Amino acid sequence: MAGWAEKILDIDLNTKTYKTYPLDMEMARSFIGGRGLGARLLWELVGPEVDPLSPENVLIFANGPLTATGYQTSNRFSVSTKSPLTGTILDANSGGFWGMQFKKAGYDVMIVRGRSEKPVWIEIKPGEVSFHDADDLWGMRVRAVTAKLGQNNNRRNVLCIGPAGENLSRIAAIMNDGERSLARGGPGAVMGSKNLKAIVVEGKDRPEIVDQERFKFLLYETRKLLAASPLTSQALPEFGTVVMMNIVNNVGALPTRNHQQSQFEGAEAISGETLTEKYLVKNASCWACPIGCTRVSRTEKVEGEGPEFETTWAFGAACGIDDLEAIIEANALCNDLGIDTISAGSTIACAMELSERGYIDSDLCFGRADLLARSVEDMAYRRDFGADMADGSLRMATKYGHPELSMSAKGMEMPAYDPRGMQGQGLLYATSNRGACHMRGNMLGLEVLGLPKLIDRFQVQGKSSFVILHQNSSASIDSLVLCKFTNMGVADEYFARMLSAVTGIQYATGDMIRVGERVWNLERLYNLREGFTRADDTLPPRLLNEALTEGPSQGWVVQLEPMLKEYYRGRGWDENGVPRPQKLAELELANL
Amino acid sequence: MPVISLYAGLRKIAGTRDLTLEGENLAGIIRGIGERYPSLVAAILDGDHLRPHIIITINGQNVDPERGLEIPLDANDHIAIFPPIAGG
Amino acid sequence: MIDQRIYEMFREIGRDLFTSDMISSHGGNLSIRLGDRVIIKRRGAMLGNLKIHDLVDTRLDKNDSGVALASTELLVHRTIYLNTPALAVVHCHPRTAIAFSLSRDELVPIDNEASYLLKKVPVVTEEFASGTPEMANKVANALKNYKIIMLRGHGSFATGQTLDEAFHWSSTLEESCQIELATKIINEPFIEYRKMSESYNKF
Repeated sequence: MAGWAEKILDIDLNTKTYKTYPLDMEMARSFIGGRGLGARLLWELVGPEVDPLSPENVLIFANGPLTATGYQTSNRFSVSTKSPLTGTILDANSGGFWGMQFKKAGYDVMIVRGRSEKPVWIEIKPGEVSFHDADDLWGMRVRAVTAKLGQNNNRRNVLCIGPAGENLSRIAAIMNDGERSLARGGPGAVMGSKNLKAIVVEGKDRPEIVDQERFKFLLYETRKLLAASPLTSQALPEFGTVVMMNIVNNVGALPTRNHQQSQFEGAEAISGETLTEKYLVKNASCWACPIGCTRVSRTEKVEGEGPEFETTWAFGAACGIDDLEAIIEANALCNDLGIDTISAGSTIACAMELSERGYIDSDLCFGRADLLARSVEDMAYRRDFGADMADGSLRMATKYGHPELSMSAKGMEMPAYDPRGMQGQGLLYATSNRGACHMRGNMLGLEVLGLPKLIDRFQVQGKSSFVILHQNSSASIDSLVLCKFTNMGVADEYFARMLSAVTGIQYATGDMIRVGERVWNLERLYNLREGFTRADDTLPPRLLNEALTEGPSQGWVVQLEPMLKEYYRGRGWDENGVPRPQKLAELELANL
Repeated sequence: MPVISLYAGLRKIAGTRDLTLEGENLAGIIRGIGERYPSLVAAILDGDHLRPHIIITINGQNVDPERGLEIPLDANDHIAIFPPIAGG
Repeated sequence: MIDQRIYEMFREIGRDLFTSDMISSHGGNLSIRLGDRVIIKRRGAMLGNLKIHDLVDTRLDKNDSGVALASTELLVHRTIYLNTPALAVVHCHPRTAIAFSLSRDELVPIDNEASYLLKKVPVVTEEFASGTPEMANKVANALKNYKIIMLRGHGSFATGQTLDEAFHWSSTLEESCQIELATKIINEPFIEYRKMSESYNKF
């Protein structure tokens, strides 16, 4: 069939052997690829009795049927596993080149099971898979490993962990192509627990496409639309995602000093405008992407990709730091050590508040830009107080008696939008299946930017419809594995048509959203099976009870209860947030 | 006088970040901008209407583009104007 | 009680539809989905002049007390919400588009804006073109693939995340049809100006 490679690579690290077998095409049709396929396979392979850092957990790397076709942004791939940070189902996706190359090597999915007795790295070429000793690589940082294993963007691509993953930090990332990451939820620790240092791919064949003419037409239309949208043709290439700093701050939704305030006086100093003016070398892009949102920044000490908005916020406003150079350096360090920047920054922010309130004995306090680099290193190597920070803010804050100071949901640190300034975002964080995550259906567009149209960010009634739609849509895009920035110029219906043109199977926009809904419900079932309940669909007490005292969002708390009730009903779940049998039957999940 | 802050690509067009102008309502302020910086206003307005996805806030509250721009202002109001931008 | 802001949104779009000749005094309909509820025009109300009591709030999937007053077309709106990602529906009678729907199975715009935004608008037919389950299913099915469709001889159904979006598609379609009608009067050979335009009808 076209689009999919129709092959799964199944690796057993216990025995250092592998097998390949056909992808179940019925499953593929219903779950597409990426996040969807990963979730479906994880459902079978990893149950509630499995500890995320044990050999019984698996890593499922997955492409989609559009990957490597050459469609705009058809370079992304995802990893699915049980998260060592949250204990929920996890998928994280990344761009760059690795995913495209993995597809060209001839696979849709790679399952990595077990644990290798000694450090190992895997080499995948068309038709052959080999295992190599990684003793000399263990301990090496990401850049060094990537270079040593022969990274060549279009031909040979390296995916690896850094010291943070080796040391089983629960916020460790898996890095690919040097500076791109699969970071949220700590997949790096899972890879580290398997003694797997790196996976290198070389591929050959692009996937088949059924309707070449239609494919070309849609490619052309997408190119036109992306060029015509000022978001993808001007704002993102020129300023990067950090362009969000000033506007989110302006409307009073920029969490500052561990969510104590919602505006940061130093926002301008760490904004996209300042980055472009002072530290930007150029922009860059992933394979087959015309947008080019990647930053390449340089300070006296470092040059590298990034920082993104979330990173700049996490080490910036969250920590009360307005020193953009220090932030750029912290970002480069995170990439080299292999740590999730959002969780790292937010955990440091939490530590800063614990310290200022006298709950821990530390020199950390808000504004200490000079301590960022040391903190990140300490986390990666579990040194000194870093040992407490390495496993995320919730475990740390709980240990010192104040779990309420961890700005997280289901244990995952919240990103750069204060939900007291955006009610819909609050509902999104509370209900996201992998923990507080903005990528599951960012309400930023509707509530702040007016994309496609502005809705009242303080309104509560009716918000859940939008959140549900966005969650479903994001899940479908994560299952194709495309970049959500394409969605800023091109409507969902194009993705459905592209999928149809490539695979020959008819998908309508409604079908794609249905796939997203199916994936969402499956993830929900997974979490329910793990023991998560309605009580976990919540936010830190600060956001529910402590109204902001100043700024444009002054006086607001997140009104979660009414939104959550409406949300459960809208999703066809009962009042405990459990999908009703009727909904599961509708989504063809009834047999699970 | 109200302060108007410009962001992203608009700064380059205007050559500056902040403007102060006399004006009793938002429409008046924008007309005032138009007299001093015609290319800036061309980036913001399409005839009488805001260009799609231009974001204007007054003291951090979004201006609803459908409502028209005849919004009264106080002397110490802070207006922010953003071109179409996005991120994540 | 319907939220004032929601009412104002309905009132403005309704008035715009009437004043731009896209609907007669009592025809057409607007609805939005709020979670598991639907807000729709009351039976017999005038879109061009909606009062707050002209809007009815009822359940998406079942009848409740609100349904007695709801428009006879509630069924088709509900079916659309249950089968597509729509959060808003605009149903109106764009006259030129209707005229073209009488002789064509699909409307393929020739003007820039509509070919950019819509590409192609299919026409579906139903004998009893009002309020039946058959019609509701046919319309909803077509809207799985397109954001605006025509019901032959009757009018357009457009969906969006907001009423604005759905109104946008409706207004664009009518403009496009009026342009095409004008070319028929002008009656001169068409100069194709768009690349890959032959593929629009395969959208």
